[in-house]
Amino acid sequence: MDYFEPKTLREAVSLLARYGEKAKVIAGGTDVLVDMKFKEEPLCLVNIKRIPGMSYIREEKGSLRIGALTPIREIETSPLVREKLPLLWESAHQFASLQIRNTATIGGNVCRASPSGETLAPLLVLEASAIARFSKGEKKLPFTELFLGPGKTLLGAKGLLREIEVPLPSKESRGTYLKHAVRGAMDIAMVGVAVLVTPDGGGKKARDVRIGLGAVAPTPIRAKRAEKALRGKTMARALVEEAARIAASESSPISDQRSSAEYRRWIVETLTRRGLEQSWKAVTGKEVDG
Amino acid sequence: MSLNIRLVVNGTRHRAKIEPALSLLDFLRDTLGYKGVKICCNTGECGACTILFDGKPVNSCVVLAADAAGAELVTVEGLAEGGRLHPVQQAFIDTGAVQCGYCTPGFIISVKALLDRTRNPTAEEIEEAVSGNICRCTGYTKIVDAIQIAARQLQGPTGLTSKARS
Repeated sequence: MDYFEPKTLREAVSLLARYGEKAKVIAGGTDVLVDMKFKEEPLCLVNIKRIPGMSYIREEKGSLRIGALTPIREIETSPLVREKLPLLWESAHQFASLQIRNTATIGGNVCRASPSGETLAPLLVLEASAIARFSKGEKKLPFTELFLGPGKTLLGAKGLLREIEVPLPSKESRGTYLKHAVRGAMDIAMVGVAVLVTPDGGGKKARDVRIGLGAVAPTPIRAKRAEKALRGKTMARALVEEAARIAASESSPISDQRSSAEYRRWIVETLTRRGLEQSWKAVTGKEVDG
Repeated sequence: MSLNIRLVVNGTRHRAKIEPALSLLDFLRDTLGYKGVKICCNTGECGACTILFDGKPVNSCVVLAADAAGAELVTVEGLAEGGRLHPVQQAFIDTGAVQCGYCTPGFIISVKALLDRTRNPTAEEIEEAVSGNICRCTGYTKIVDAIQIAARQLQGPTGLTSKARS
């Protein structure tokens, strides 16, 4: 196995251009090491951990910018994230165990592109973008287009994630992240649901609703039809229940050792309804009624 | 291809030549002989291989040995001082929080890290601190008791203990 510790992004990207599919990028390593032990070693390992200046969280022009090498624990303990992006904070807080949060990076969680990746449904709902470096320059890839399938993203074999840009949601909005798993810690979600709700000035209608679903399709997805059913409408109980049913119908889960597809659809419906109700109550102080 | 690395384990400097794919767990156990770091799931799920990496608890099985170049590590072997067990170790013995003992070094390190962060942990902080460590023998009640005793011990005679006495 060839092994490199590039010291600059340029060096890393040129290694990826040279080795293509043969190269594997390693950041925190909490997934890559398991693959190397139990599946196979890559022909080339590109360890980007020694590139300086890739671990940071800063606010800039209405966005939080998070370096790809920022450990999940840094996100969880950042007062800035807690205050400005509580939805992302919640997923970082529920992420695996303390040991893993100290090691795993947000860039790794994104590039791994697991449908159940803990931070992905929240980042989708927050309409984050991936800032990626290619040999010809940099591209801004919206999360809504980034994921192509399990383990596959628009980065391909030659792009390197440098930063995640998260636009700050409207101050009137509130989000909720709900995860369903057997054990609280150290367990992969059977279903993860992220909801962000913005009411209009009157506090009766939803100006904007975003719903992200994790672990119930080949990629994390937005429940676009459910969002549309609520946008601009009065948040009444029957409508919220209907939207939750639509969200379940938009999911395409598989059956595996964690749960059956049918069970996952039920959970999508329940968590979507709960997420909508909890977010609505948090932002308006009122229950969804009628 | 191999790499030369330098690091500090329990205050002792080491230099070694390693393969780049080597995990930090295998390096600590097999190359340097720190057998107190236990190998169990080897996938970052059970916490038996927990060590302190620059003061933070990590699962050494899912860290590259190469990433420890320049780092300071602490394993369970590094906690006792001058033949006296660390208060966390003593508390685990006193409450009977040890049965087969295999998970114990990992727990002890996670608890040491917790009590380095705070001497007065809440029930929630205790639960969070060891949620990545799995014990299949004793159940967790005695472990939580041990953590509370160790915390009181480390607070010393001035902290909460003296208030409780008066």
